Amino acid sequence: MNSAIPYAQALTNLTAHAQPPLRPAELSRSALLAQYHPDSDANASTLLQIGPSRGQACHPQLAALLQSNALIDGFDLAGAEQRSTDVLVIGGGGAGAAAALTAARSGAQVMLASKLRLGDSNTVMAEGGIQAALAASDSPQQHFDDAMRGGHQCANPQLLAQMASDAPGVIRWLIELGMHFDLEDPLSDGGKLRYKQAGGCSQRRILCYRDYTGLEMMRVLRETVELDPAISLLNRCPVVELLSHEDGSCAGAVLYDLEYQRFMVVSARQTILATGGCGRLHLQGFPTSNHYGATADGLVLAYRLGAGLRDMDAFQYHPTGVAWPQRLRGGLISEAARSGGALLVNGLGERFIEELAPRDVVSAAILRECAAGRGIERNGQLGVFLDTRALGPELAQRLPALQHLADKCGIDPSREPMLIYPTLHYQNGGVVIDGNGQTEVPGLLCAGEITGGIHGRNRLMGNALLDILAFGRRAGRQAARLAQAARHKSSLPPLRGGIEHVYRWQRQLALAGLDASVQAPLLYPGQARLALHRPTGTRAQEK
Amino acid sequence: MSETIRISIDGKVVDATPGNSILHTRLEGDTPLTANIGCMGQGVCGSCRCLVRKAGERSAETRLACETTVEDGMQVSFIDYYLPNHVHHYRPHDLRDGWQALPQLQQTFPELAHCRHCSGCDRACPRHIPVQQGMALAASGQLEAAAALFDACIMCNLCTLACPENIRPNHVGLYLRRAQAIQNLRPGDLLRRLEQQARGELAINTRSDTPRSEA
Ligand SMILES: Cc1cc2nc3c(=O)[nH]c(=O)nc-3n(C[C@H](O)[C@H](O)[C@H](O)COP(=O)(O)OP(=O)(O)OC[C@H]3O[C@@H](n4cnc5c(N)ncnc54)[C@H](O)[C@@H]3O)c2cc1C
Ligand code: SF4
Ligand code: SF4
Ligand code: FES
Repeated sequence: MNSAIPYAQALTNLTAHAQPPLRPAELSRSALLAQYHPDSDANASTLLQIGPSRGQACHPQLAALLQSNALIDGFDLAGAEQRSTDVLVIGGGGAGAAAALTAARSGAQVMLASKLRLGDSNTVMAEGGIQAALAASDSPQQHFDDAMRGGHQCANPQLLAQMASDAPGVIRWLIELGMHFDLEDPLSDGGKLRYKQAGGCSQRRILCYRDYTGLEMMRVLRETVELDPAISLLNRCPVVELLSHEDGSCAGAVLYDLEYQRFMVVSARQTILATGGCGRLHLQGFPTSNHYGATADGLVLAYRLGAGLRDMDAFQYHPTGVAWPQRLRGGLISEAARSGGALLVNGLGERFIEELAPRDVVSAAILRECAAGRGIERNGQLGVFLDTRALGPELAQRLPALQHLADKCGIDPSREPMLIYPTLHYQNGGVVIDGNGQTEVPGLLCAGEITGGIHGRNRLMGNALLDILAFGRRAGRQAARLAQAARHKSSLPPLRGGIEHVYRWQRQLALAGLDASVQAPLLYPGQARLALHRPTGTRAQEK
Repeated sequence: MSETIRISIDGKVVDATPGNSILHTRLEGDTPLTANIGCMGQGVCGSCRCLVRKAGERSAETRLACETTVEDGMQVSFIDYYLPNHVHHYRPHDLRDGWQALPQLQQTFPELAHCRHCSGCDRACPRHIPVQQGMALAASGQLEAAAALFDACIMCNLCTLACPENIRPNHVGLYLRRAQAIQNLRPGDLLRRLEQQARGELAINTRSDTPRSEA
């Protein structure tokens, strides 16, 4: 570890000033990003050698997974259980639920497969809220402009415009399903919605439900999915490979049913991947705010089948992850703490950055303090202080989730600072899609954090929850439409596909001299790897 | 490093570091976790539910493993998630007519009338929600008050598991909360914006030049 100031000394330094002085900025923001943002690190980027995005920059850890061998081979399919459906949705977060509900609503027969239980996802963890331009003084145009600027002008303008325009319709849809939003005044104007400010926005435009917006959203979505007779739900059935037809289009997927420990082949007319992000890869050795299942599975499979990716070297590190105690390391402290007046203070008792500067800048500034030996060390954990004392005794009431977290840390946030360090939070890039969520592979759609292009190279607070629903619904509708068209042509069940694409991929791996012993998707992030139960002679008797 | 203690998880004795949660202790084991894990400490997904018996105690309590710190001699068993097969289906659309609220609730959750006030649900709840009171309020038709009690429910289903009458209290609570939003929430700003968009106004110009300022 870099040299750091011991916790006790740092506390003394903190309390030496009534108002911590602001350390003069030595670097411009762009220099700060170039020198200290984890994305800029020399070993944070490599070029993809094979596949549709060959030659593009990508984080090396992710590249190793993208350019890896499959978990299964042809024999595994032989004894597998066979199923078929119009639309197969993979992933049980907000994007998957929205896609499944919309496809079912559009008349399709739907199967939803999730690795964990439906709802155990990044979506349920979201605290801050969701953006929608509703105020008379606001407009979808301003929403678009803010996000375009926030994404360093790199977003796909068509996708971003669709997201901003869809926002009011998404909020209506959520209310129709029974989601609540915080109200300024329930009795005026049909329920006056509360708008909150997000970093990088020209207007207050975040809608929320307390500081557990994602929980409120996900419990409503999950209940609706579970009660929808047109959706068959497969919990604990991770996708291990996609299926392809001879023309290279997607034919469904191979799942691994954990309960019965066997493979399941699902032939689908259309397949939607909504498997979320990759925080659990702990890129650059960072802790993460993400849920257990965020292991880039969908990215790996889509890429192997021929779907292009973009911005795979742009990740969001949230400035305020818990640094101490170690067991809560990486857990998120919402931006709301800083908007409420909490300060960032180094080991010398100095502030070193405007707390509400863009997230990437604040994270880089924290990392610079730590690199320069002005970080703080507590029981082996390195970080800087988030001084919440200014929030006062009302903190518990205004930010219940923060108070709950502080309680678990054994800290009284109205009297002591918390130790924080940046945490890997969000995957900015992902699979290239069109306005209906279609990828470059026919029959394969994507929605949610797995996709790229909507936010450019940096996402603003509240736009992820919006994006997953706007594009989840678009993908669901489109998949249902395409499945219906296919059914008109032939009423037979969808054709069975194979894994010819895997064999092609293996030849490419060999040609490029890449290590074919690495297998992906990872499925579970821990040390221990899951052993997939192979079909044997006894298999036939199992049923 | 500090001393280690021992706990038993699903019948297997493992070493644990004091201060760690049950969930993190289980993660360090040599079998990969494929269930009963999600948010890993935030305490919002409800997947890590388990039964915990402390050393020397007779009765076991239901807990969230990610929010419970290990203690020497603890016995832990995780509780699988399953989809009960006696669910009553409803669609959000069915909840629109608030005049039908009471008969509809009785139809959707007929078991509600059978509550025996055993408090099993209250004891099970890791969020300390007064579940039984919520069911009593709902049964007596005080729907808003009942709904409000389930505001912080994480849908861990422990109360549903505990209930001898199959009432599924958290699903009753969520049903009531949803009905409330579906029937009452009509924000004026949202209605106006949707209407503007329906008229074809407010299209976005994707080429609008936003300044490339850094701030
Ligand atoms: C702590 C936290 C706070 C956040 N706060 C906000 C906020 O306030 N506002 C905002 O807009 N955004 C926020 N975000 C970001 C936002 O929550 C996510 O980007 C978004 O919810 C992603 O939705 P998703 O459906 O694409 O993925 P997820 O919700 O992560 O769902 C992915 C699903 O796919 C499943 N899956 C993964 N692999 C497989 C596989 N192989 N087979 C089958 N299923 C698989 C996963 O288990 C999971 O159920 C936050 C994120 C975190 C982590
Ligand atoms: S009310 Fe039931 S489902 Fe909700 S948190 Fe309590 S025990 Fe879990
Ligand atoms: S567990 Fe069921 S029967 Fe017992 S008090 Fe709760 S709701 Fe009533
Ligand atoms: S892992 Fe989500 S509540 Fe414990």
